[in-house]
Amino acid sequence: MSAATEEQRQQALLAALWLPVEDTALPLLQQSGARAAQGLAAYRANAAALAERALAAVFATVQAMLGADHFKHLAREYWHARPPERGDMGEWGGDFPDWLQGHAAFDEWPYLGDSARLDLAVHRCERAADAEFDAASLGLLQDVDPAQLRIALMPGTAVLGSAWPLATIHRAHRQLEGRQDSPQDAAAAEHAFADVRAALQARRGEAVVVVRSGWKAQVHDIDAPTLAWTRLLLDGAPLGTALEQAGEGFDVAAWLAWALREGAVKEVLRVAD
Amino acid sequence: MRGAARVHGAAGVGIGLRQPHYAQVLQDLPPLGFVEVHSENFFADGGAALGVLQQARVSYAVSLHGVGLGLGSAAGLDPWHLDRLERLVQRIEPVRVSDHACFARAPLAPGQPVVHGSDLLPIAFSLASLDIMVRNVSQVQERLRRPMLVENLSAYLAFRAGGAGETMDEPQFFAELCRRAGCGMLLDVNNLMVNALNGLADADADVEHAVPATNPTTPPRRSALQACCDYIDALAPGSVGEVHLAGYCESTQDLGLVIDDHGSRVRPAVWQVYEHALRRFGPLPTLVEWDTDVPALEVLLGEAQHAVALAERVHQGDLA
Repeated sequence: MSAATEEQRQQALLAALWLPVEDTALPLLQQSGARAAQGLAAYRANAAALAERALAAVFATVQAMLGADHFKHLAREYWHARPPERGDMGEWGGDFPDWLQGHAAFDEWPYLGDSARLDLAVHRCERAADAEFDAASLGLLQDVDPAQLRIALMPGTAVLGSAWPLATIHRAHRQLEGRQDSPQDAAAAEHAFADVRAALQARRGEAVVVVRSGWKAQVHDIDAPTLAWTRLLLDGAPLGTALEQAGEGFDVAAWLAWALREGAVKEVLRVAD
Repeated sequence: MRGAARVHGAAGVGIGLRQPHYAQVLQDLPPLGFVEVHSENFFADGGAALGVLQQARVSYAVSLHGVGLGLGSAAGLDPWHLDRLERLVQRIEPVRVSDHACFARAPLAPGQPVVHGSDLLPIAFSLASLDIMVRNVSQVQERLRRPMLVENLSAYLAFRAGGAGETMDEPQFFAELCRRAGCGMLLDVNNLMVNALNGLADADADVEHAVPATNPTTPPRRSALQACCDYIDALAPGSVGEVHLAGYCESTQDLGLVIDDHGSRVRPAVWQVYEHALRRFGPLPTLVEWDTDVPALEVLLGEAQHAVALAERVHQGDLA
């Protein structure tokens, strides 16, 4: 028996669990009839539970928006459409926001894709490399031409700009987490969702930066110049270029004070470094 | 006395370190032989989970137990996975590294890209499958520069036997794997019981009672318990490097199967199989796994203490 035969039966079993196309796999199994069906069902049940659990761990806002039951079915659909490629389920779901945005069932929810992108940015930020702030490197800002410097942000820092109020939506749904059934919580939630409704009605676009604080990612609202500036820094642009292109109204001193307070800066570097 | 300063039993009994217990374990540092984690949950570049593990490593030996290598995959190993595992091993310096005798990576159709099944899928116990396992296990060991342990699987399906001489029984398969690849075996005694109860071990689904033959010319069907003990007796002494204990459940979906869900206490019959293993192999590092419906830490520590007491009694010959 050659290795190719093992390849064929492994492929046939995996296909039977996924597609499901059982005709090729069943003759290869010891079990038949109802017992084979039980075995396949056990593996499929494992997969369905894992898909929901893994995706919910990343896309908590999307799950809250859709409701647990709807999300469960969506996770199974995504599992079949985009099977995992890695053995680390924390890596699965990278194209879920695009898949969601292209899903015909959500034409009425055009902001769902960006909400998923924000969830993914939060997830990736919390898995990013741990890094120390190099305070001494700030001295370069005094001594060196900004055209020769760049600012490295902490690993995991990300920005998102959206035509939809993604920060307001994110905040409202996250507020539901850990909520007790107290009148105060109910009032706060009602207030948060009133903000969401108003922002959606006004078609208010929002931008955010995601920065890790300790182990947790924080989502901060930012304006358009700060979005442009942060994108340029993340792309490695020299400070001179970033300042020129950030746009009118950008206050670099205020941004630096904020970034240092929030722990967004890793170090200042010479462009050549 | 706290943490690893007092190691339970001669070889150590450990628990799976899971997220609901992170804070309490790190604060209380209960006496344990080691803690076990699923390697893939710590593959990220950084973050809270890795921070917790690094903190736990200060007080405990860590056993890195993988669920995603797919060591029996004919499609081979994922280089990305191997890179991440190597990095984690360097970071944690684990006492043991292990994964399963299963496949996970295959294309969904011939010629298509390889996907990851995200489950522990059964392999055939054939010579061709053995060659694949030896190749993949050797690749991991060469990369990590250390031997690894390979765990026997609980399965809900099995591949049909190949032609004459091409298929061996499972203990033979592991003996050959250990001999050719230089690895050890991680013996999961709960998996033995699950397989026996699900009809994958040529045994009756009754845990303890053999079923008389209906035909006087054939022998009675052995009990599930006997099938587990026979399996252990067929393994070579010295080949087993760690034992796993866990609970199983009857399927809630009316599948007519027992499910290896690691979601309850170790069953009495599984304790009996464990005792049999201790008698055959002597003291072995032993893990109590509990991965779903994770209980209060005290419950898990109680199960670990039960394993310690049993190991000590066997060791002292009280049950002889």
